[in-house]
Amino acid sequence: MPSFVRHMLLIVAPLMAAFAILPGVYDNHLLLFNFVIFLILAQGVNIIYGFTGYLPFGYVGFFGAGAYGFAIMVMHLQAPAPLAVLAAGVVGVLLGLLLTPLLRLSGAYFAIANLAAALAVLHFVANPALESITKGPYGVALNGTFNPTLAYIGAVIILALTLGFVVFLRNSSFGMALQAVREDAVSAAMAGVNVVKMRVIAWLVSALVAGLAGGVFAWYVSVFYPDNVFSSDFSIFAIVFALFGGVATIMGPIVGVIILYGIYNLIGFTTPQYFQLIYGVLIMALVLFLPAGLVSLATRRGWNVP
Amino acid sequence: MLRKAITAFGLGAVMGMALASPVLAADAPAEIKLGTLYASSGRYASISMPVHAGLKLWVEQKNAEGGVYVKAFDKKIPIKLVAYDDQSNTATASTLYNQLITQDKVDLFVADSGSVLTAPAVTIARDHKMFLFDQTGTGGSFFSKDNPYIALMSDPVSTIWPKPIADFLTKDGPALGIKRVAILYSTNEFTGTQANSLRKFIKDANAPIEIVYDQGVPTETTNYTVILNNIRAAKPDAVIHLGYAPNDIAFLRNVQDVGIKFNMLFCIYPGLETELLEKNVGAKGLQHVFTYVPPSEMAYPVNFGMNIADYKKAWDKKYADGKIEFGFNAVAGYTTALVIEKTLSVATSLDQMELRKAVFSLSGNLKTLDGTFALDETGGQIGELTPLGQLELNDHGHIKFVAIYPHEVATGKPVYPKP
Amino acid sequence: MLAYPLIAGVLFGLYFSLLGIGLNLVFGVMRIVNLAHGDFLMLGAFVAFGVFYLLGLDPLLAVPLAFVLFVIVGIVLYGLLVPRLQQSRDPEMLSIILFFGLSQVIEALVTIAFGTSERSIPSRELGSLMTAAAKALGAKPEGGPVDILGQSFPAAWVISAVVSVIAIGLVYVYLYRTRLGTLTRAVMSRRDEAFATGINVDRVCAAAFGIGLGLAAIAGVFAPFMFGSVTPAFGADATVTAFVIVVLGSLGNPLGTALGGIVYGICYMLVQTFLSSWADLLPYVLLIVVLLLRPSGLLGRKVRVA
Repeated sequence: MPSFVRHMLLIVAPLMAAFAILPGVYDNHLLLFNFVIFLILAQGVNIIYGFTGYLPFGYVGFFGAGAYGFAIMVMHLQAPAPLAVLAAGVVGVLLGLLLTPLLRLSGAYFAIANLAAALAVLHFVANPALESITKGPYGVALNGTFNPTLAYIGAVIILALTLGFVVFLRNSSFGMALQAVREDAVSAAMAGVNVVKMRVIAWLVSALVAGLAGGVFAWYVSVFYPDNVFSSDFSIFAIVFALFGGVATIMGPIVGVIILYGIYNLIGFTTPQYFQLIYGVLIMALVLFLPAGLVSLATRRGWNVP
Repeated sequence: MLRKAITAFGLGAVMGMALASPVLAADAPAEIKLGTLYASSGRYASISMPVHAGLKLWVEQKNAEGGVYVKAFDKKIPIKLVAYDDQSNTATASTLYNQLITQDKVDLFVADSGSVLTAPAVTIARDHKMFLFDQTGTGGSFFSKDNPYIALMSDPVSTIWPKPIADFLTKDGPALGIKRVAILYSTNEFTGTQANSLRKFIKDANAPIEIVYDQGVPTETTNYTVILNNIRAAKPDAVIHLGYAPNDIAFLRNVQDVGIKFNMLFCIYPGLETELLEKNVGAKGLQHVFTYVPPSEMAYPVNFGMNIADYKKAWDKKYADGKIEFGFNAVAGYTTALVIEKTLSVATSLDQMELRKAVFSLSGNLKTLDGTFALDETGGQIGELTPLGQLELNDHGHIKFVAIYPHEVATGKPVYPKP
Repeated sequence: MLAYPLIAGVLFGLYFSLLGIGLNLVFGVMRIVNLAHGDFLMLGAFVAFGVFYLLGLDPLLAVPLAFVLFVIVGIVLYGLLVPRLQQSRDPEMLSIILFFGLSQVIEALVTIAFGTSERSIPSRELGSLMTAAAKALGAKPEGGPVDILGQSFPAAWVISAVVSVIAIGLVYVYLYRTRLGTLTRAVMSRRDEAFATGINVDRVCAAAFGIGLGLAAIAGVFAPFMFGSVTPAFGADATVTAFVIVVLGSLGNPLGTALGGIVYGICYMLVQTFLSSWADLLPYVLLIVVLLLRPSGLLGRKVRVA
């Protein structure tokens, strides 16, 4: 069996099945929804950081832009929600295209420029001068489209597509070439890899999934302010989860989200005090003692982690 | 393969996604579960913690007395407070709100403080048909005729806050010599909406008042020196600054630091969080500043709960370490609690629509330390108004409030122009 | 109309330089992105609160105290965190997460100890010991405004600008006139070669890390005067601002930060004057434009890749 099919069968299908069954047995659907959102975002970070080495510190920019893309489609064009989610993805890609020149930067420069870009989009959307389009700082309320069940299904479909792309990256010459670029751009270019084009593709796919995620998020929450959907917590969580699990794999970010976001919620549900302290200590300990992520526990033993 | 996965998912979804509806209790429960969130850290912590502390004080006080009277079961039942920490993070807040409803099955659903953290609760409450006790989330987008599952407890909707300022400027202003007004506001829902209403009130009044400066600045702004210079260049008689507490602190300090004198200067938080502002700006910097007069200064006659003096005493006893300032937000949390207590004493069941009916039946009748509780038909608060006042120093150099407008509550005359 | 924002921009910009320079030193020497930089600023402010409210002294005395204290804290933290971090595959990126965790821990501990409210110190108390000096600068006693070219500015701005100039000057002396400083520059330009030539890189780095945190703490002493008030949550925004300034000047060149701060200060004040509601958008757009035109910052070497 080709490894692509095997990965879809063994990783993606069970995960989808789990998210299909869970709402029936566990009532906090929003928690499940947020799990799906962070799985999408962590895999989006994986696509761009894991396979190309660019750390998108302002990843939430695409997410927030997607959420507002959704809101504008619904408010001004009375678009049906699924169409508005697609438009949210398009908004993410357009913003990605606009920011493509940032890929000329490297390392921390890229990370910080991307953060600045996300903040710029936030302050742009939230400016009162744009009130007639985005409602500026006054927040949107989308009552007409509210449908948590469909929004959840939409999120799971986006997760499936995202995972499908990661599985493809992991099993294709395209993904191999990207990783070669990450390790040594010059040699890869000499070996005939079109470095720039491949990076741009990974970048735009990463922007697309965040935009789509923002769209379904807006669909589900319905009432929000710019500060809600552009909160830097989204970027930081997605990055921390992906890195904790281990990037450039399919499993890493999934494990990272399930364990770390799981622990996060467990602390939140049970410990009334010191939430932030416990979580901060945990993150530091992880970086110091498991710097290559959870999957390194397996790879160190010579196991191959998909 | 992908298609198979999606199909499998679809089947599961159909089977599994029927939402549990709230259960009606038949026998008297051992406790009434009150679910809420607070932010112990992050951007909204400083407005969230005093509100939560006020609510908590009430819970402990009532439980020490054996609980609150619940009409539905005709007996006293203790309150169980289920409170989670959302850390000012909105995604976390939405998960936790949902946890309160779906896992903890709370009887009473109370939002965190402020519009940004209240926003996720609005949709969730509506989705689960839970009535949301909105503490201080004044956002205009929360209230609509088709959503019965919300009411604002402890402060009026943003649009009616600035009414007394506008009335004072347009009715008393011309006689005092106020002709040119400058408006500076932070661009967020709470203060931006107030600026919009103020502008509209002034224009609609057709008084000889001219708005000579009207600018929004980002809410993160903490340095106003250059802006003050611009405002001075517009030669206003009155400067109305609408911002959050950190904005007011920075603004008033800059006014002192640069040595500018405006004949009339209005800020929101010297009135709402007087202790906090006095600590940060100093009593001298607040002298002659116009502001909203908070309930703590009005000594409203109450027909339910502690009056302001008793509440302050109870607060100082419980929070003796001074880490949380006593101010408007502290009163707001306790006001929410009183509305809840009164609601339980009149509601004939714990059914959410019955709770709503009970809350609305209090409108116009309930008089707490926060003033008269009054709702419009969408659940927006239109009572608990904050009059316009001015801060003066008494003989000992302490801050005192002089209520100025409306005239029926006035305790003195405005000092204008600032000497 | 133009003179006022220009002078204000230079004064405030000099302070912004101080705000960023510690971050830049740490990044330049260790390639570590100190996401907790703003939290050390916040801690510096709390040192000032202690000096003023507990000891009843001029907050200006907190400057040497905060510096010494945080140099020590920095050296200890360096020993605890950095060697482990440097063993990992991508320390530059992982440092972002590690120091995010640290910033959470610091904010949580300060919140637990002091609560969440805004705090500050009356403006006239800054430099109360040096009223004579303030008089010489043209101020009236009682911390009144200072006249520069017929315009009045807060005395605190002038004092902090002066301290900033002194601090930046001392950083220059350290880097170019001391042995440890020369070694620091050697490590900055060629880390591996510095290793090979037998430089005790750990000692150089620990010193740079300590000085970096010390400088952040000094900037923090002035934060209550420059930003009105400080809360335990102050750090996150301060970190982002510091990044913008550092990247404007150029990452890894501490002296470029001085220029970055002034450019930032002037631009900010100009936008606040003419387009006040867009004032927060500008720094980010400025950052992106500068990075795209001169990827290494205004005074940097070439770092662009591919």
